Amino acid sequence: MSSPTQPDAACGFARRVVARLDIKGENVVRGIHLEGLRVVGKPDEMAARYSLDGVDEIIFLDIVATLYGRNNTLALVERTARNTLLPLTVGGGIRTLDDVENVLRSGGDKVAVNSAAVRRPDLISEIARGFGSQCVVAAVEAKRCGPGRWTVLIENGREATGLDAVAWARRCSELGAGEILLTSIDRDGTRTGCDLELVREVAAAVSVPVIAGGGPGKPEHVAEAINAGGADAVALGTLLHFKLFSLADVKRALHAAGIPIRPLSSLTRPPALSGAELTA
Amino acid sequence: METVTGAALQVLHGLPEKVVFCKRCVMSNQRPSTSPEFRKQDTRIETAAFGEDGICHACRFAEMKEHIDWNDREAQLVALLDRHRRNDGSFDVIVPGSGGKDSAYVSHQLKYRYGMHPLTVTWAPHIYTDIGWRNFQAWLFKGGFDNILFTPNPKVHAILTRLAFLNLLNPFQPFIIGQKVLAPKTSLKYDVPLIMYGENQAEYHNKLSETQSPLMDPSHYTGDGTRRYFFGGVRQEDMPQYGVKDADLEPYLPIARSDADRLGIEIHYMSFYHRWRPQENYYYSVEHTGFEPNPERSEGTYSKYASLDDRIDGFHYYTMYAKFGQGRAMNDAAHEVRDGHISREEAVALVRKYDGEFPRKYYQEFLDYIGIDEAEFQAAVDRNRSPHLWERRDGRWTLKHQVA
Repeated sequence: MSSPTQPDAACGFARRVVARLDIKGENVVRGIHLEGLRVVGKPDEMAARYSLDGVDEIIFLDIVATLYGRNNTLALVERTARNTLLPLTVGGGIRTLDDVENVLRSGGDKVAVNSAAVRRPDLISEIARGFGSQCVVAAVEAKRCGPGRWTVLIENGREATGLDAVAWARRCSELGAGEILLTSIDRDGTRTGCDLELVREVAAAVSVPVIAGGGPGKPEHVAEAINAGGADAVALGTLLHFKLFSLADVKRALHAAGIPIRPLSSLTRPPALSGAELTA
Repeated sequence: METVTGAALQVLHGLPEKVVFCKRCVMSNQRPSTSPEFRKQDTRIETAAFGEDGICHACRFAEMKEHIDWNDREAQLVALLDRHRRNDGSFDVIVPGSGGKDSAYVSHQLKYRYGMHPLTVTWAPHIYTDIGWRNFQAWLFKGGFDNILFTPNPKVHAILTRLAFLNLLNPFQPFIIGQKVLAPKTSLKYDVPLIMYGENQAEYHNKLSETQSPLMDPSHYTGDGTRRYFFGGVRQEDMPQYGVKDADLEPYLPIARSDADRLGIEIHYMSFYHRWRPQENYYYSVEHTGFEPNPERSEGTYSKYASLDDRIDGFHYYTMYAKFGQGRAMNDAAHEVRDGHISREEAVALVRKYDGEFPRKYYQEFLDYIGIDEAEFQAAVDRNRSPHLWERRDGRWTLKHQVA
């Protein structure tokens, strides 16, 4: 793990910029503090655009999946997987190993678990045993509840759990989660930058990569989440969806801050082959 | 229990016997419409207007709004404001509100977009929540407003709330009455005839014909001065036996119609002039007045940004659910369907998941506030469950009709 204050440029492994698409029904939505969800676009178009623009990974979170008791994004995952080589993480309503298998069969690379893991933490170890730790991302939605203290919320930030966020993130990593997707509800959608204290605390507490989310509104915020927060990746929603800045702006800022990134030359990829071309 | 076939079930509160859920939003036809509270002698109410086609008037109204020329409406607003605008330093518009997203939007627009000089007035919640107080303060500090916070005598208010709960199962009645008359009373004191509210509630549950005007019907805030009003279903002249003197009722009494006419009081709704989108008001208030949503969802619904400043708020919605089988989640979900934020399918899932959830968090505080115990609470709730809506199944009260 790199030290929180200095990018370990010498180590050379690239820090990632991740596009986070919160899916509700047919649409990508975005709120502030996970509330007041605005429709911002269609998931297919947005995923295609971000992948062409040079994002490193895409996360689809079906935010009403737990409400309905099902995940509606599999067809979307399938279409996206056909058109991009980027790693895809799929979350929302993942409760069983069957759910995980369905995601993987649809072309997803990892699953993100939140509500179901809080209710039954063994789910994380079961997925890790069955499919490998690289396959399971623990999504932790944290709300500040005092100086240096955060509590975990589930069901898209609506239900309190009473869990301490840092302790829960550590537990997730001990149970076998390969990554922590950390969202600050206080900063979500506010464009004021990540909660760096939270990112630092969690990054120091876990032995796996942390994807910091909630708050980035400009490229400098992304760089500081990595340099000052110790994050390995940053999840972007509002910044990309509202076109505050482009992915090229973000990557330039990371490069300028001395952060190793996927080389800009690889930002564009050849169009993927269609199913017909593959079988031909 | 005797089974009645073909015969009418007992129906309480003057509700429609046949339960209908709007095919477009999810709203129930059991929902009460808005009418003056200080004239109510019992629990009978008028209910939401529905068309023969099973679509509620609120949805029809939402449809009509698509054809409103909002530029023309804004021009009407500017003409109205110009007629009232003052340049001598005195206030020229009263804005009632709590510092929630809606009053933050109205007051901020009037002051900073249209250059008015608003005086904001607040009828205090029964018991402030921490987040409610923070939002109220942020509204003034960050938004920059003059404000009068009126706190009714809490001892009297608690007695009135108790009576309204026990007699009408409507604990928010005193709050609603006081809140509605505070603005016109302030108008008279400060000589400011223009009052601007946010959303016209009638848009949602009254007849379409009541939504064609920007003005609040004066019957909601004026009276004939005879002091023949009802509080918690009790005649005003009988209130002394509950320890409430005439003078204690002053904050709740409507103003005289003659006074309203003399000053020329006009109570307008911003929702007539601006396209009203609660979600956009949320965004606006976060940016301009430092509004914060609840740290977690409110009990009985899924939302975090509405009606969050009063600790006993949950009991307003819970009692509605007991009386009308229609709770807070249904209100929120129906509104969001009309605003195009969610599908009807999602609304159904939300209503089924959250509607009628018991407001446990401040239960003891509510009991203490109105001075009753759990048994009295439960008895009052249960005797107001209309048999056409509720049945006992496996020892639990269950709604006979669920939205689907």
